[in-house]
Amino acid sequence: MKLEIKDLRASVEGKEILKGVNLTIGQGETHALMGPNGSGKSTLAYTLMGHPKYQVTSGQVTVDGENLLGLTPDKRVKKGLFLAFQYPVSVQGVSMFSFLRAAYNNSRPAGTEPPTIFEFKETVAQKLKMLSMDDSFLSRYLNEGFSGGEKKRAEILQMALMQPKFAVLDETDSGLDIDALRIVAEGINTVSGPQTGTLLITHYQRILKYVKPQFVHVMYQGRIIESGGEELSRLLEEKGYTWIQGYKEEEQVAQQTP
Amino acid sequence: MSQKAVSSFDEDLVRSISASLDEPAWLTSSRLDAFRQFAALPPEKNPLYTKYVSTFSFPLDRFKIIPGRSEIDFRSFFQGFLTGKEKDIILQGNETQVHTELSRDLESQGVRLMSFHAALKQEEAAIRKLIEGRLVKSGSDRFAAFVNAFFSGGTFVRVPTGVSLDRPLRRMLLLDSPSTSIVEQTFVIAEEEAKLVYLEELYSKGVPSPAFVASTTEVLARPGSHVDFSSIQLLGDRTTHVSNRGIETSNDSKATLSSLSLGAEVSRSRTNFFLNGRGSLAEGFEIFFTDGKQRYDYETNLVHNSPDSTGSTQARGVLKGESQSIFKGMIKIVNAAKNSRSYLAHHAMLLERTAKSDGVPSLEIDNNEVRATHSASVAQIDEEQLFYLMARGLSQDEAKKMVVLGFFEPVLSRVPIEQTREGARFMIEGKWQGEKRRLADRETLLAETGELTPEVKETEDIFERHYKYR
Repeated sequence: MKLEIKDLRASVEGKEILKGVNLTIGQGETHALMGPNGSGKSTLAYTLMGHPKYQVTSGQVTVDGENLLGLTPDKRVKKGLFLAFQYPVSVQGVSMFSFLRAAYNNSRPAGTEPPTIFEFKETVAQKLKMLSMDDSFLSRYLNEGFSGGEKKRAEILQMALMQPKFAVLDETDSGLDIDALRIVAEGINTVSGPQTGTLLITHYQRILKYVKPQFVHVMYQGRIIESGGEELSRLLEEKGYTWIQGYKEEEQVAQQTP
Repeated sequence: MSQKAVSSFDEDLVRSISASLDEPAWLTSSRLDAFRQFAALPPEKNPLYTKYVSTFSFPLDRFKIIPGRSEIDFRSFFQGFLTGKEKDIILQGNETQVHTELSRDLESQGVRLMSFHAALKQEEAAIRKLIEGRLVKSGSDRFAAFVNAFFSGGTFVRVPTGVSLDRPLRRMLLLDSPSTSIVEQTFVIAEEEAKLVYLEELYSKGVPSPAFVASTTEVLARPGSHVDFSSIQLLGDRTTHVSNRGIETSNDSKATLSSLSLGAEVSRSRTNFFLNGRGSLAEGFEIFFTDGKQRYDYETNLVHNSPDSTGSTQARGVLKGESQSIFKGMIKIVNAAKNSRSYLAHHAMLLERTAKSDGVPSLEIDNNEVRATHSASVAQIDEEQLFYLMARGLSQDEAKKMVVLGFFEPVLSRVPIEQTREGARFMIEGKWQGEKRRLADRETLLAETGELTPEVKETEDIFERHYKYR
């Protein structure tokens, strides 16, 4: 089983951000996607999940040969795709409990009976424990008033419940202190496992100490310009992103985030 | 006497209503005073109104206003609306007379739950005092004057001094006949140190047909008492609903109003909280959800006349389709009401570009040693929230529903009456799905939904928020 992205081009409000992305992620593989701010990493994440603001102008995205483009986000979830948001959205009045339950029930294979409220409580209790999260999380409003670390843990909790085939983690390491980073990284390792393909989008190398990718890709100006093994991330760490400029001397690294 | 259709609202009609109800002369003359004020007051202007409400060119000839004496079989008429286990309830089907069930233990404690005119027969002096000291004054509001002049029935509730009820008193009005008009007055009185919960429910059934419901409601919380008043309005799509409420607190008493409005074509409501007692507390929780071409015009004012009083009212509404709403509210704190605190909030969410809502909060404060603030917002549903929920597998409709139901929670979760709180969620969800549901008790809810989702209780103190005026 594979997540295949072929020559993907996408724009926001008429401006092309992704300029032909090619990437294949196999089941059980972990890929890191690195690159400077504004290179299109988050745009790729949103485009894969089907955010209405991002228009795909050409290319293909398939899971197990099935086309994802044109599907609404909920249908992509049913094909096994998951996105951990860089900035999880808060929703007042919706309890974590009801939200997680809806997410869990909606990501289960068609035709399976949804678990009872008691079965769900047990399932969620195990996952909370794994992420060192307190039960009180469940009786708070969705992401409302959560610290940066709590939000990121909550994203991984959702991933743990939804058990996707392919997970895109958009800067899940940002805004975490060292302890939270370790907990989140351990969570990712436990949840991803051999059944899941993971695309770990990150700006920094530090999470790669905990989550070991087999493949590292560098994104720059809407394209993947370099792919390699773990050593590529160390090269990036040493030299910084400025060395990429060698690829396109005439262009400046965009400073703004998309 | 059979039901009589009327062709105009005039003094003769006032007299004939009063005579048909066998009323004492003082009440007839009180009605006539109200009528003169009604006739003198100009029509209310409001961008939301249809011609029916603004000009009073309501098709009167089609409407019956004098109460009929025809009996209905309450059991079959209310089928589906009652579980059969109701104990303390007053039922009214169309304009016909009311049916009351009050358990013996409450009756023997002196609790009253009866029609206005039954109470008038039993204790005329007390009723006269209430009418003469009305909170909902005829001179202040044309619709109040209208009801005070033409009311054909009503409800009287009183819990005597020191009696604390552990279950709600209820009143249900159910309409099903075309061209029904209900004009009524309700009095709810908690005597000193009494405690009561009152649930008022207004429903229609059958094919939607034109109807008119006009009411005044007076809630009196005497010293040290506690009244929780709940009003559920799910009248039919072609009903015009006009309501005036006055809620008064006395020394160290507490009164709350929890209202859920889902029905009617036009609904126009005025609520005044009069904080007339030192250390008293008044709280309003108002929820509405409109669709189609529904129009709601609501106004809730907090009038602080006494020191150390605390008042708040919080409204939340969601508007679909081409529905429209206005929410006005004023905090008024007189010079004598020092150390009072007051809070007024109105928040609306629009689900479509065609829906409209306005919030108009204001302050009028004559004492510097008070804290008062208001907040208002009107916003479209948040697309990023919808995307986030859809990215968790919810369809667009499910995502919208979750956001909408969540939007009510900061107010709904504070509603002090469990049955209203849980029932309101069930009814709002029903409206989302195009079903008309009624307020159900917990047992019925469990039977119909299988389980109740655990609640998140709002704990933030609203008075700890930012103050515009302090």
